[in-house]
Amino acid sequence: MDAGLLQQMLIGALLGLSVSLPLRCGQLSLATPGFFAIGGTVAALLSTRIPAFAGTGATSPLPALLLEMGLGGLLAGLLAWAIGGTVLRLRGIYLAIATIALVEILRVITLNLPFTGGALGIFGIPQPFATASGYAGFTLVLLALVCWLCARLEQLRLGRAMAAIRDDELAAACVGIDTAAVKLNAFVLSALLAGVTGALAAHFLNSWNAKVGSFDASITTLAFVVFGGSRTWLGPVIGGLVLTALPELLRPVGDLRLIVFGLVILLGPVLFPQGLITPQALHGLGHGLLGFGQQLRGYGHQLLERASGPRRP
Amino acid sequence: MDLIQLLLNGLSLGAVYALFALGYTLVFSVLGVINFSHGAVFTLGAYFTYLLIGGQAGANGLLAGLQLPFALPFALALPLAGLASALVALLIERVAFRPLRRRGADSLLALISSLGAGVILVNLIQLLMGAESYAIPIGTLGALPAALSLGGAQVRTVQVLLLAISVLLLVVLSVWLEGSRSGKALQAVSEDPVTAQLLGIDSDAMIRLAFGISGFLAGVSGGLVGLSVSIAGPYFGISYGLKALGVLVLGGLGSVPGAMLGGLIIGLAEAFVPAAWSGWKDAVAYGFLFLILVLRPQGLLGKPQTTKV
Repeated sequence: MDAGLLQQMLIGALLGLSVSLPLRCGQLSLATPGFFAIGGTVAALLSTRIPAFAGTGATSPLPALLLEMGLGGLLAGLLAWAIGGTVLRLRGIYLAIATIALVEILRVITLNLPFTGGALGIFGIPQPFATASGYAGFTLVLLALVCWLCARLEQLRLGRAMAAIRDDELAAACVGIDTAAVKLNAFVLSALLAGVTGALAAHFLNSWNAKVGSFDASITTLAFVVFGGSRTWLGPVIGGLVLTALPELLRPVGDLRLIVFGLVILLGPVLFPQGLITPQALHGLGHGLLGFGQQLRGYGHQLLERASGPRRP
Repeated sequence: MDLIQLLLNGLSLGAVYALFALGYTLVFSVLGVINFSHGAVFTLGAYFTYLLIGGQAGANGLLAGLQLPFALPFALALPLAGLASALVALLIERVAFRPLRRRGADSLLALISSLGAGVILVNLIQLLMGAESYAIPIGTLGALPAALSLGGAQVRTVQVLLLAISVLLLVVLSVWLEGSRSGKALQAVSEDPVTAQLLGIDSDAMIRLAFGISGFLAGVSGGLVGLSVSIAGPYFGISYGLKALGVLVLGGLGSVPGAMLGGLIIGLAEAFVPAAWSGWKDAVAYGFLFLILVLRPQGLLGKPQTTKV
């Protein structure tokens, strides 16, 4: 497969996870592309304006990339923390619309600030990796780490509190969960992840403009989660991978590809109301892998026994 | 620009937003879902109007060079385009909403499936008509002059017309909702579909009615905007749709007078943004929206939500 497409798919998976975090406690936030744009803008500004970040060699230094990802995530997280308390008092569709408004406000600000390059954006962002496969390898490690954290979250106090709020916010509050704090945590984590991903994406795309954080992106990333299934960590990942790849894989159909893409988004929820990956499916998959592992181990034991020769009585 | 022209700009823009937002509100009040294909139906209405007045398809789509064998006057083309849009909205209800409603699925899903329907529509338009922009010529208005003199100021006839038709539709809709049997039935369904069904109201029929009317409103406002500022390609409904979403929340979800008030506020606010600041114009609507949500989450005229145990 083309490493460039793989990289885009991996970024899609990371964004899917970002959208799924607030959804895990029942909050429909569409702010992810806004935070994604912030992270990317931070990385683009730092690496094009400050020589130390661009480096002197053929590729820009890796520590600079890591620092930009950290700063991009931090700024996005801080903004989320600052507005989260107010915004998260809103429920359901009101929260969704408020976060769409936030994304649009951020887009207009980026478009009009004197140092972000206006409608054209920022060009010639230095490349920390010489090839697309380099990016894909790095992002794969990042995705694996984030997946592990998200899976781990289900066993932590925060993750369980999030699930409780999703099932019944009032009941969760009654058993002593600080629902406002838990929701804020999920929102900030989501922003942080989107900011980090944005910083990485800005380098990969080589240019960055206000359009990356738009209403379209809000809805597309939400589609990742709904399509893949929002109840497991694997669902948003699969949704992000598949739906990012789909328009590219459909290139042979030519002009029809976006229509087919629309059909998939239309029929996905109708045919799989729970998304592709349900908790049962993930559980089954886990068991399957576990069973497969045990089989391998048994096979290994047999091999070892044979190798050590017939047992003496 | 003088004050009357500015005021009229704001009012007519606001009226279009209000029509748009009412389409959302009707569907939201009966289903509790935002119909994301609404913007695409608006676009479709504009293209229908363009074709019905005898416009020719451009060179880049599959329908290149197509022209209907007849050319209708605008006064006839607009309602017909509205009806055609209503039919499309009904089709969308059938494919993207009804299967999910039958299963009692999460309302979030209808958000996505309606978006899918919108993506299909927009790209279908692009495939058939190309990505170029079209203009509905002012000449279709027949004997009407291009500009009117109003209180000493020259104003564009199109905008007066836009404002008049929008206000007319808004008034008719309000009267129908409050005064007629079917309007009241629709309100009953939005209050509680199950109880309404028990009282002998066909909830499904009311939902179809809501989709039909909202499609009609979207189609008509699309045609009007197409006449007033031209059709800027298959995606042009999206930004209006987004703005109207803001209008909707500003006024209060599910509130008809709220949608009108919200439309007027945002339309006027945008019209009065000075030209030197025009880059920030889009931020005005969303800034307002954000502020209102923080200060008064139920919107200006909405009912406060209560949490029930």
